[in-house]
Amino acid sequence: MFERFAHEAREAVVQGQVVARAMGAERFGAEHVLVGAARGHDSIAARALSRLGVDADQVESAVRGLPAEHLDAGALAALGIDLDAVRAQAEARFGPGALDGVRPQASSRRRPRSHLPFDAGGRKTLETALREAVRLRHNRIDTGHVLLAIVRLDDLPAARVLESLGLAPGDVDDAVTAAWADSPAA
Amino acid sequence: MSDLLATAAAAEDPAEGLRAVRALRALADRLEALHVARARDLGWSWQDVAAALGVSRQAVHQKHGRGR
Repeated sequence: MFERFAHEAREAVVQGQVVARAMGAERFGAEHVLVGAARGHDSIAARALSRLGVDADQVESAVRGLPAEHLDAGALAALGIDLDAVRAQAEARFGPGALDGVRPQASSRRRPRSHLPFDAGGRKTLETALREAVRLRHNRIDTGHVLLAIVRLDDLPAARVLESLGLAPGDVDDAVTAAWADSPAA
Repeated sequence: MSDLLATAAAAEDPAEGLRAVRALRALADRLEALHVARARDLGWSWQDVAAALGVSRQAVHQKHGRGR
């Protein structure tokens, strides 16, 4: 699949991996690719975001600020489950913050991964980016298609990042189209 | 009569039940991730983990990591 990706899109994925690892993420999502794309030197996404008054630092902050899916203590209590007790037990066994997704100390036996695997949303985003490129009859998938894909997949964390930055789907569409118009033919 | 109907309607509303299911599933997922990681650290194979969870090896491998 990556053969059809423009260099800047591949770079966005590579940079996204760096960002995800730096954030201590367990899996690699579209939101990390988004940061990678925003940081891309003169990428379509960077230009589109710039038109919308958003820079890479803001995107990264917004991704860092994404709340982890919280555990619903009230709903669990209604089932007779004391979340505090479960949390205490998990932390006793696995360390502080274990139930809230804080990574445990890596054991000496765990080999460092060469790359973080994509999560389902990340994979879906790249597939959707491909479909956008096909729809628009573009030869290569670039970060513009990735940005459009994120907007389409509105239930993903990456889409929430764009929302939190005050970017409406229509504006993103227009900005990407304008960025494409400004660049030499793909 | 309308009180009775209102109560009946509320009892039929699956929203609470579904909310509880969602919460339980999120908790189960968190615990699963912790225990699977621990098992792998201890040298369990994906097959061992899958057997303990009662799912396929592929399902566990897909969910908890490739390239590990």
